[in-house]
Amino acid sequence: MTVDALYHWLNETFPFLSGNEILIVLAILIPSVALFMVIAVNALVLVYAERKVSAFMQDRVGPMGQGVGLHAGKWGLLQTVADALKLISKEDIIPRLADRKLFIMAPFVIFVGAFIAVIALPFGETIIIADMNIGIFYILAVSSFGVIGLILAGWSSNNKWSLYGGMRSAAQIISYEIPAGLSLITVIMLTETLSMQGIIQYQSGGLFSWIVFSSPFSFIAFIVYFIAAIAETNRTPFDIPEAESELVGGFHTEYSGMRWSFFFLSEYANMLVVCGVAVTGFLGGWQSPIPGYFNTAGWSIFWFISKILFLVFVMMWVRWTFPRLRVDQLMDICWKYLLPIALFNIFGVGIWTLIFG
Amino acid sequence: MKQYFLNIWETIISLSTGFGITWVHMLNIKKGNVTLQYPEEKWPRPERNIGFNHDDYNVIRSRLTVDMDDCIGCLKCMRACPVDCISIETVKAETRGEDIKDIGHVGITSSGSKKAMVVTRFDIDMTECCYCNLCTYPCPEDCIFMTGGPNADRHPIDYEFSEYDRTDLIYRFAKKGSKEKMEAQMFPKKEKAEA
Amino acid sequence: MGIIHGEEMVLNIGPQHPSTHGVLRLKVRTDGEVVSDIYPVIGYLHRCFEKHCENVTYEQVIPYTDRCDYVASMNNNLGYAITVEELMGIEVPEKVEYIRIIMAEFNRIASHLLALGTYGLDVGAFTPFLYMFRDRERILDMFELICGARLLYNYIWVGGVSHDLPKGFVETAYGFLDYFEPQVKEYNNLLTYNKIFIERTADVGVMPPDVAISYGVTGPNLRGSGVKWDIRKDEPYSIYNKFDFEVPVGKGELGTVGDCWDRYWVRMREIEESVKILRQALKALPKGGDVHQAIPKKIRPPKGSIYKRTESPRGDLAYYITSDGTPKPYRLKMRSPAFTSISVLNEISRGWMLSDVIAILGSLDIVLGEIDR
Repeated sequence: MTVDALYHWLNETFPFLSGNEILIVLAILIPSVALFMVIAVNALVLVYAERKVSAFMQDRVGPMGQGVGLHAGKWGLLQTVADALKLISKEDIIPRLADRKLFIMAPFVIFVGAFIAVIALPFGETIIIADMNIGIFYILAVSSFGVIGLILAGWSSNNKWSLYGGMRSAAQIISYEIPAGLSLITVIMLTETLSMQGIIQYQSGGLFSWIVFSSPFSFIAFIVYFIAAIAETNRTPFDIPEAESELVGGFHTEYSGMRWSFFFLSEYANMLVVCGVAVTGFLGGWQSPIPGYFNTAGWSIFWFISKILFLVFVMMWVRWTFPRLRVDQLMDICWKYLLPIALFNIFGVGIWTLIFG
Repeated sequence: MKQYFLNIWETIISLSTGFGITWVHMLNIKKGNVTLQYPEEKWPRPERNIGFNHDDYNVIRSRLTVDMDDCIGCLKCMRACPVDCISIETVKAETRGEDIKDIGHVGITSSGSKKAMVVTRFDIDMTECCYCNLCTYPCPEDCIFMTGGPNADRHPIDYEFSEYDRTDLIYRFAKKGSKEKMEAQMFPKKEKAEA
Repeated sequence: MGIIHGEEMVLNIGPQHPSTHGVLRLKVRTDGEVVSDIYPVIGYLHRCFEKHCENVTYEQVIPYTDRCDYVASMNNNLGYAITVEELMGIEVPEKVEYIRIIMAEFNRIASHLLALGTYGLDVGAFTPFLYMFRDRERILDMFELICGARLLYNYIWVGGVSHDLPKGFVETAYGFLDYFEPQVKEYNNLLTYNKIFIERTADVGVMPPDVAISYGVTGPNLRGSGVKWDIRKDEPYSIYNKFDFEVPVGKGELGTVGDCWDRYWVRMREIEESVKILRQALKALPKGGDVHQAIPKKIRPPKGSIYKRTESPRGDLAYYITSDGTPKPYRLKMRSPAFTSISVLNEISRGWMLSDVIAILGSLDIVLGEIDR
């Protein structure tokens, strides 16, 4: 459902407003609100899932309760809702010596970075807000937008820990863009298109026509992309910008309440984006694994979201299993391991396509 | 070069071992879970009535309680306390081993010894108490103890004694009115003079 | 190409910081991420332990020793009790000796589990921390069974212990050991041999043996540097000479001798050795005997002074007591192993990165209650 289609539909439904600018605003606003809801719900669900997954891996049960009103509802389902309410009602503290304007701006910059990337995620054959012919390129470009917000947050807090966090995250995200981009190039080489829908169309025909299974090189490319994606979302073992045992909270040390929750929201939105790209590029997007079955619009949303959730689960699994890397080791992994492997992959996929393609 | 691939290999092996462990733990959560939902479920307290010689000692570390009917005011617990959280004041009774009805003073303890003192003040500041249990051992009448244990029938064990006000944690065990009454007895002239 | 030096910055770690293991403050001079100087500021938890002891009787000192090294209270009690006993010339019954050894070794396991778990937390691994705390909890449950307290026991007294072992304790202890031994393997798979963990700790914060000795570092930190020195073995107190156990030393399997991984690994191996000692002690535990038999009615040591050291989980824990013949010690000095461990921090973490300083601090396993006293 692109903005254009919505605009045409509005034009037809409300003929008395035809051609009015209000319709353009509406056509933009409606999907944006829907998108915001998606991101908010995503964060609610993922925070709950993260708590539960981590708890189960650590022999705990996580948030629990006996029913509504007692603790956090049955199985603690209301825990994230309660957290959200708490965050909204918390005092909003801005340090006296902070750079006020930048401090206020930073969380929103990060959030915008995540928000505009979700636009290009295809939830189904027609369920996409902006089907650009350079979709994957667009997402790669705008997802590094958030790093500006991180640096802003780190700098404006006027706190040494935040500064360290901001600097670390800038170095990290920019470095890891490269292996991520290079491994997506293998996808683009195979599909010969930059459009998200085009990439997915290429993978139609069931489980074994997904790019991840098409050649050993593309499998390695998937792994490389996934590792880079974890690093880009600042999650353990690459969570050095936040690193609570070293940097207290990194770039969000000084934030509290609603502003802090925006960092959280955008972290989970970023997870949605990078996993969405991985699903689109390697796991067949919204395509059903069994060709010809379960491929209605409803099912396509189901497939896309369940694939994303699977990858998100793997990310959580990684987080709750491994220690954190040091900042120079992080760079080592990027430049000495992932980058050569990704470059070699491009070569390998090229040869593979020449021989078998 | 060999080291390079060896590193990658070692990383893959060790990381997948870790993955396996957390995965197994996640699947066996029903069996492995150690969390108790506190207000509904509580930690099972170790079985107390095995093996301990309850006549002599009690091994509970909980709230301190005094059975005032048994207290002879010997101050041994006060002296044993390393943090001085017990404060006791006594007044010599007129006749040894006789009840004083109007302040509830019992003259003879449950073990049969006759009291010479009336305890007018017996305060335990539980905010200071370090739960070392040192005060309970020297007591000749076994009247100061931590709740539960051998005295569980009279004072069931109680670990949960948080209060809204800090002053509520200062336990005053002396019989109500005993201080005023005894002072009035000790200084009758003064009272008369004032009157 | 050399290292480019920028402007130096003073960073203040603590006293409120997630990984200072208490209320330690570190003034760190950094050049970017690289640390050039560390100045530990201590004393936030100072409670005048030594001066306080001069004003309480010998029995009343024991609850205070609990609170020095609060994760290994039994070992502190034991050290104090042994010192006073030697000053007074008290012979304790064999059963008491065995009970004391069992308690001390259980507490050593609990203390090492805490040290290793929080070390995992320092380098970012959350899950091993909770696994180790889960098992430590079972040891604390056992202590609760024995003396009613879970953390600050006041259990080992001068001349005896406060209570006899409850019926069924030996079985409970065996049950725990049987459960616990496979868990050590799991910790190793999950954390010790994890490549990321090795990268973070091997070759980091190397403490050569001569530095360790000249700073007076003892315990697992010293043994991690490859020096085989364990008071339980080299200067046996209580009945440690009756048991057969190894003294694990750092060999630098994955890096240099004396790095963080070695110190970690020595602790992990010591847990296994403690299990060995416990099995022997539980087997040889005498059935009968009164644990209060040798407790003196009044503790009034003769004039004189004594210095006696024991091996606490953190190293060489010693008490120096001067008595003037009254029921209160004239002077009591405690040599705390963590205090010497923190003093070496600056020496071994210069030139490492900020994240490494956290890892090195964690590997020294300090307890602020003992440093500040």
